[in-house]
Amino acid sequence: MVATEAYVALSGVLFSIGAVGVLTRRSAIMIFLCVELMLNAANLALVAYAYRWAGTGLLTGISGQTAVFIILAVAAAEVAIGLGILVAIFRNRASTDVDALSEVRL
Amino acid sequence: MTLLPEGFIVWSVLAPALFLLGFALLTLLLGVFQRDRGFVAAVALTGIAGAAVFALHFLMEAQRGSAESGFGLRYLADAHASAFTLVILLGTALAVLVGQGTLERLDLDHPEYFPLLLLSATGAVVMVSAGDLITLLLGLEIMSLAVYVLAAWRSDVRQSQEAGLKYFLLGSFASALFIYGIALTYGAGGHFDYASLMAVFAATGFEAHITALLGAVLIIAGLGFKVAFVPFHQWAPDVYTGAPTPVTTFMAVVVKTAAFGALLRVAATIFAGLEAGALGAILPGVLVVLIGATLVVGNLGALLQAGVKRMLAYSAVAHAGYLGLAVVAAGADGMAAAGFYLAAYTLMTAGAFAVLTQVMDDDDRGDTIEHFAGLGRRRPWLAAAMAVCLLSLAGIPPFAGFIGKVLVIQAAITAGHVVLAVLAVVTSVVAVVYYARVVVAMYFREQSSAARLPERPASRSVDVAIGIAAVGTLLLGLLPGLWYTLLEQGQNLLVFVSSP
Repeated sequence: MVATEAYVALSGVLFSIGAVGVLTRRSAIMIFLCVELMLNAANLALVAYAYRWAGTGLLTGISGQTAVFIILAVAAAEVAIGLGILVAIFRNRASTDVDALSEVRL
Repeated sequence: MTLLPEGFIVWSVLAPALFLLGFALLTLLLGVFQRDRGFVAAVALTGIAGAAVFALHFLMEAQRGSAESGFGLRYLADAHASAFTLVILLGTALAVLVGQGTLERLDLDHPEYFPLLLLSATGAVVMVSAGDLITLLLGLEIMSLAVYVLAAWRSDVRQSQEAGLKYFLLGSFASALFIYGIALTYGAGGHFDYASLMAVFAATGFEAHITALLGAVLIIAGLGFKVAFVPFHQWAPDVYTGAPTPVTTFMAVVVKTAAFGALLRVAATIFAGLEAGALGAILPGVLVVLIGATLVVGNLGALLQAGVKRMLAYSAVAHAGYLGLAVVAAGADGMAAAGFYLAAYTLMTAGAFAVLTQVMDDDDRGDTIEHFAGLGRRRPWLAAAMAVCLLSLAGIPPFAGFIGKVLVIQAAITAGHVVLAVLAVVTSVVAVVYYARVVVAMYFREQSSAARLPERPASRSVDVAIGIAAVGTLLLGLLPGLWYTLLEQGQNLLVFVSSP
């Protein structure tokens, strides 16, 4: 039996890797993948917490698991929109490097 | 086994959101068959008006002390939700009018425009009505996903693509922070709904409290991105400038109203619960630093801009700071003050952007001060409306912006944040400089030969939008009681339920 804290700690590590990736990567697709990693870290934490709350007899243990499904759906919708925008940009400049996106500066 | 108590599901509270959703689908369908865009815009406006009727009904009910909620306390139709819904609908209606008058000219005339606006507004309505973190998340995503697409609307123009991608990448990063914040909050409190969380947090011990605080800070970061608090504001100037001006109009008013509506509710419940707990002083400290930085950076940033569109973007950041005063003073007072401020902000900001669409050329460029020089002589009504909106944004009486500023500063002082209130007054003096610069150019300078106004017939629907904005700004400034009494006396369910 692994303690809830262990799962939460793992989710914290995943979340941090994702966050560092977003801040350091230069390719839009890699940034996007790192965001997905952060979302999955949140899902792992939710499942772990839901298990713990259900174990204490709290009825809302179920809502934690339900939330995971909602977040999965949200992530899928984000992927659809994000890749759409990326494809539109790639068509125009054949690159997804975010450093090239500096036209609006004055 | 029955999990849901009797009368748990109340569909009627969803009426404004469902009405908007239905009309979003209807306009999408009409867009396929109907070539006449004016007709589709009229249908969209009908949907907005219908949703407004429902929201007004709920506001009146809240006045009588019988505010409604559905799905437990997870979806609310109280004074706060209804009033913010009305402000969102006002902003959406103005954006529809501006879009109808300018899209064809800008060569942006795609049938998906109005459906996306309505879908985004649906998400915004869900956000301000949410009484539960998961409901809030759904509203946030419905709203944001539509706006990401709208920001990248000019798919052949690099600026707009750039705005879309920047907004999307930073927005999804902020969503991820927000979602992890929800997970931690759930871990500490065991619930998703605000009312239970507030009760749990007020009584939790030290260890759960640290998790909850971390969760709250991440939630502030996620919503702070949407309202453009410093240091989460960097996207705002670039995205506001790069997106097509009609879309910027929508983003500047509706997204901000929705995010503040949600943030105020979270602050009045979850944060209030945390403040009553073991480490209560930390969270208000974090908020005060963020808001102070927003006031300074927003106003100084606006001062340094040459383009009026970018200046208005920084001004939107600065106004997030003033609205932040209401967040630290959340509770019934702060919520009513913010409700008034956002109504005024929606009118004056949408008005200013609408005038901007008339001054900029058909390539959506040309927004320097030079382009405004001599506008007072050539287009007196347009210039007068712009002057009203800008002076109101600067907080000069007798316009609505002045009353809004007084209300939020008063709320902050009552809540004991005197330093922040003083900072707000000082920075609003700086703000007068950059707004007045445009007004002075319009009335006291000759038209320059390099920057001419484009020759084209005025658009009737944009004129209507500008008229509504200017008259509304003046009316709210002269008779603030018309709107404020509705906010002040209405029943806010969660504040009402949770106050001892």
